[in-house]
Amino acid sequence: MNKQTDKRLAATAALGLIGIIAAGLVFGWSRFWANWILWFLFLLTIGLGSLFIVALEHVVGARWSIPLRRVPERLSSLAVLMGPAALLALFSLHFLYPWTKPENLQNPVMAGKAVWLNERFFIWRVIGCVVLWAIAYWVFVSGSVRQDRDHNPSFNLRARRLAPLFMVVFGITITIVAFDWISSLEPEWYSDIFGVYIFAGTFLAGLAATTLTVLYLKSKGRLPEIKPDHIYNLGGFLFAFTVFWSYIGFAQYLLMWYANLPEEVLWYKERLQGAWGPLLLVLAIFHFLVPFFLLIPREAKSNPKFLFWTAAFILFSHWLDLYWMIFPVLGHGMHLGWPELSFGFFSIGGVLLWIRHSMSRGADMPVGDPFLREGLGFRL
Amino acid sequence: MNSGSVLGIFDSAELLVNAIPRVKAKAQGRLEAYTPYPIEGIDKLLGLRKSPIGGMVLIMGVIGAISTILFELWTSGIDYPLTTAGKPHLSWEAFIPIMFEVTVLFATFTAGLGMLLLLNRLPMFRDPMLSAKSMPLITRDKFALAVEFSGSDLDVDSITKLFQQAGAGQVEVIAKPAPVGAVSPNFFAGLFATIAVSCVIAGLLMYWAIKLFPVSPPISHMLVQPRLNSQRADGFFKNGFGMRLPVAGTVRRGAVSYSITSQENAAGLVNPYPRTNEILNQGRRTYNTYCSVCHGILGDGHPMLTAAYGAKPANLVSQQMIDLRDGEVYHVIRMGRNAMPSYTADLAENERWATVHYIRTLQRAMNARDDDIK
Repeated sequence: MNKQTDKRLAATAALGLIGIIAAGLVFGWSRFWANWILWFLFLLTIGLGSLFIVALEHVVGARWSIPLRRVPERLSSLAVLMGPAALLALFSLHFLYPWTKPENLQNPVMAGKAVWLNERFFIWRVIGCVVLWAIAYWVFVSGSVRQDRDHNPSFNLRARRLAPLFMVVFGITITIVAFDWISSLEPEWYSDIFGVYIFAGTFLAGLAATTLTVLYLKSKGRLPEIKPDHIYNLGGFLFAFTVFWSYIGFAQYLLMWYANLPEEVLWYKERLQGAWGPLLLVLAIFHFLVPFFLLIPREAKSNPKFLFWTAAFILFSHWLDLYWMIFPVLGHGMHLGWPELSFGFFSIGGVLLWIRHSMSRGADMPVGDPFLREGLGFRL
Repeated sequence: MNSGSVLGIFDSAELLVNAIPRVKAKAQGRLEAYTPYPIEGIDKLLGLRKSPIGGMVLIMGVIGAISTILFELWTSGIDYPLTTAGKPHLSWEAFIPIMFEVTVLFATFTAGLGMLLLLNRLPMFRDPMLSAKSMPLITRDKFALAVEFSGSDLDVDSITKLFQQAGAGQVEVIAKPAPVGAVSPNFFAGLFATIAVSCVIAGLLMYWAIKLFPVSPPISHMLVQPRLNSQRADGFFKNGFGMRLPVAGTVRRGAVSYSITSQENAAGLVNPYPRTNEILNQGRRTYNTYCSVCHGILGDGHPMLTAAYGAKPANLVSQQMIDLRDGEVYHVIRMGRNAMPSYTADLAENERWATVHYIRTLQRAMNARDDDIK
C-alpha cells in the first residue's frame, strides 16, 4: 500500500470538501443539493450495479466470474456507504423537489401523485431501500468474505437461494431510486420505462467500475491468475449493456416523440432547449456510438489498457447521463464550473481512498469459494 | 502422390498439442487438427488465419444501416411524402427502429449464411477425411493431426517418421480425390425441382383442405361479405328483390325530385340557402370530407392522394369554374361528371348547396385581390 497515493487522494478529497462548502455559500444551496444528488446517485449506481453483478453471478451460477467477484463485492460497499448520503440528501427535498411545496398541491397532477410523493412516505422509502441494500450487502459480501476464512460451501447454497429474492428487491428499489430521486424532480412527468433506463445505466456503471478496478489491480500485479478470457468477458458485457442502455433510452424517447403528450414531452422539451440539446447529442455519441465502435473488435475486449480507458470513458458518460437528467431543473442555462469539480474531487478522491482500503483488506479473490478453481480455468 | 493428407493419430490432447510445433517446423503443407472436443488455443498453434466473418458482418451491418436510411429518406421524403401524426416528413426518429432491424437482419444473415455457404463451403457432400479409417476413433477418444498438401509432392515417409517421433500411435495416409465441385449442376436442378414439386403439392393439399374442411375461410380480402348488395336478387322476399320498393304514392322525407338531365339546363337553379356562418361551416365540413380527397383542401386540384389516383381532378378555383353558375356546380355534385361519381346518396339537399357556397368561398380566397389586405 502506497502511503503517498493515500495522502494525495486525501488531499484531493479535502480540497473538494473546501470547494463544496464554498460553492454552497457562494452559489446558493439549490446548486449544492443538485450536485449532491448527482454525485450521490453516481456513486450509488456504481455500488448498486456492482451488488447486482455479484447477485447475478449467484443467480445464474456463473463460474467464470468467481475469480473477479471480490472486486464488485468491494465496490458494492458504495451502496451501503451511500446510505448516510441518502439520508443527508433528504435535506435537498425543499430545494429541488417541487412536490414538497404546499402551493403545488393546487396542481391536479401533483395532487394526484401526492399519495406517493409526500415527504413522510418518501423518507420511509429511502430508509427502506438503504436497509434492504445493507441486508443484501451483509448476505452476499460479508458472507463471501467470511467464506475466505472458513471455506464453508454452505455460503454458496445460501447465496444461490437468496439471490433471486434480491433480484426482486433490486428491481423494486432501483425503480424507486429512479422515480423518487430523478423523475420526481419534475413530478408532472410520466415515464414507466424510466426505471429500466436507470437500471441499464446502473448495471453499466457497475460493470465499468468493476472492469476499471480489475484492470488497475492487474496492472499492479495483483490478480495475476486473471486471464485475457476473463477480461474479454467483461468487455463483452460492457459492449452488450452499452447497446442495452441506448435501446432503452431511445425507446423512451421514440414513444414520447410519437405520442407527443404534454405530460410526457415536457421532460424532453426542457432537456432539448439551449445547451442541453447539444449535450444530448454528445451523450448519444459518448454513451453509445464511441463505446460501441471501440468495443466491436475482439482484440479491443481483451486488451487491458484499451479496455481500461474505454471503461473510464463509459463511466464518465454515465456521469454525463445523470448530469443531463438532473441539472436542467436548476434552470437558467447550464451550470458547470468549479462547484461541480469540487464535488468531483471530494467524491472521487474519497471513494478511491475507500476502495483502496477495502481492497487492501483480505484476499483479492474469494479464496474460500469451492468453485474458484473452475472459474480460474475458464477459457473462451 | 501429389494431393492428399497424412494423419497422425495421438492418444491424448497433450501429445497432439506438443506435436504441433514440431511438425509445423519440419513439414510443408497446411496443418489441420481433428479432435473429439474443442481444444483451447489450438487455432493459434496451428496458425489458422483470422476468420473474416467479423469484418463481413460489420460491413454488411453498416450497408444495411445506410441503405435503410437512404430508402426511408427516399420513400418518406421524396417519393411518397405522407404526413403522419403531424410529424415532419423527414423524421429521423421514425427511421431508427427500421434501420436497427435491417442492420440486425443484414448482420445475422451475413454471419449465418456467410459462415455456412462462403467460409465452410456448404453444402459439401464429400470430404476425403470422412473416408479415413481412423475417423471413428477421432470422433471418440483419439486426436488427429493432418498435414494436407495439394499440387506439390510430399515425402510421406519423412512425415510419417516425424509423426512417430512426436508420439503418434499410428499414421494414416489419405489420398484426396481430384477436386470436384462440391455442388454439381444436377444438385441445383434437383433442389429446384424438389422445391417446385413441394410447392405444387402443398398448394393442392391446401386447396383441398380448405375445400373439404372449411375450418377457416380462405383469405378473400373482404370480397366475400355476409351482406346484401344493392340491386341484387335475394330469396328472402317473395318477389325475389333484395331491396324494398317504396310504398306506392309516397315520397321519402327530405327527398327532392330532380329531373334536370344536363348541366346547361341546371344553370337556372338558384341556391336557396343564405350565406350564413353556419351554412358555410356546414359546407366546409362536407367539402373537407367528400371533395378535398380529390380536389384538395384548397380546391386547387392538388390533393394528398394524387399519387394513388391516376386521373387529374379539376381545379375548382380556376376561372372556368368561377364562371360556372351555382346551379351547374350543384348539378355536377348531384349527377357527377367525367370520372367524378354522383354524390346524391352521400349528401343531403342542404349539404349540397352548402358545399356550393363553400366552393365559392374557396374561389374567392384563392383569387384574393391586393385591396383585400387593406
